[in-house]
Amino acid sequence: MRIELNEVLWLEEHVLSFEQLADLSGLPSALLDELVQAGGIAPIGSAETAPRFGAAALAAARHARELHEDFELDAAALLLVLGLCDRVAELQAQVRELQAKLPRTRPAAGSPRRVE
Amino acid sequence: MQYRDYYAILGVGRDASEEQIKQAYRKLARKYHPDVSKEPQAEEKFKEVAEAYQTLKDADKRAAYDQLGTHRPGEDFRPSPEWQQQWHGFGDTAFGDTGFAEQMDLTDLFAHLGGAGARARAHRPIQGQDFEVSVAITIEEAYEGTHIDLDLNLPEYDEQGRLRRVPHAFRARVPKGATQGQRLRLAGKGGRGVNGGRNGDLYLNISLRPHALYRASGHDLFLDLPLAPWEAVLGTAVELPTPGGRVRLKVPAGTQAGQHLRLPRRGLPKPGGGEGDLYAIAQIVVPSVTDERERALYQQLADVSAFDPRVQLAPEGSHAH
Repeated sequence: MRIELNEVLWLEEHVLSFEQLADLSGLPSALLDELVQAGGIAPIGSAETAPRFGAAALAAARHARELHEDFELDAAALLLVLGLCDRVAELQAQVRELQAKLPRTRPAAGSPRRVE
Repeated sequence: MQYRDYYAILGVGRDASEEQIKQAYRKLARKYHPDVSKEPQAEEKFKEVAEAYQTLKDADKRAAYDQLGTHRPGEDFRPSPEWQQQWHGFGDTAFGDTGFAEQMDLTDLFAHLGGAGARARAHRPIQGQDFEVSVAITIEEAYEGTHIDLDLNLPEYDEQGRLRRVPHAFRARVPKGATQGQRLRLAGKGGRGVNGGRNGDLYLNISLRPHALYRASGHDLFLDLPLAPWEAVLGTAVELPTPGGRVRLKVPAGTQAGQHLRLPRRGLPKPGGGEGDLYAIAQIVVPSVTDERERALYQQLADVSAFDPRVQLAPEGSHAH
């Protein structure tokens, strides 16, 4: 059995071209182009240069590929579902943040300094 | 390899029409798709349903599946030589290698098949499959960075173009600063490509295990700080644990319950540099007073204090006390 020690790449540090995004996500280029044109998958940087895409775009494109394969969704349906999934993810992040800020348990009376 | 009854998984008869198969899939996908389902083991169930649908929706794959005959679910079986010759063109010995059939999964049999021109695509470059793995790490591991060991059985094509499941052991370094929801990519470490197709990638989805003391939001950490009433009123200095070691925190006089006391740059490190903050959330803890002297002191405080904690609940124009 092989042991491979790998340097892991942070997806957050990736910057991808349109072709790389299509290749890595497995989405057909025409469908990816429709999603980009409609704003469902957003490039980073200025609009004057060739579009470049970050980690969020790769995650969205991979998710779109799965939905496209799982449900045979077209671009219009994908845009709707991706939008709803983004909204759910935002709300989940808000819930996590609020849960983190809530006191977890009321400590036992008489032990005010027990923080270890 | 083990037999799976794709018709039973979709809940349709073996004579079901394409439309009936599609309808059954849609119904089950809605029930088990990981994006929407809260059913236990939904993801596993969805994979099973999707696998059945991917095979039965395609005329070639369905015909190949049907010709395997019927077996009991979970029963070990081996495709007949005639089946192998017809669908893979490998002849009698292709599946005859010792242990070969055992290394294969039912889906592997249909990987090359499907759609018009499937045979013509046999020499086209095929990209290796991407894989996603969820990895839970502790807050200490996120703070320090860590190594994770992954043992995966990845499908790979051998020199004869046959699909085998090959065990891979990866040791991947997770750099410090990983946090909930972040994704890492091991380029080229997914399934192997064939005919010049590139290897697939391995994606790691990071989650943080619940911690006894800290709660994480992004790279910020939150910690409960219990305080005695007099500590909150008079102020104090306390020693607190942080992932980087214990620190002293000055609690200002008049600290309220729920107040966030910020310790800058004591949270989790960020991949691009810098650190999140740690917030101590003040909790006023009331002691159980059993000592007569303490009770008398509280009574004395009650007698002299003009503090009214319920001023906003008082009727208009009055001052409850």
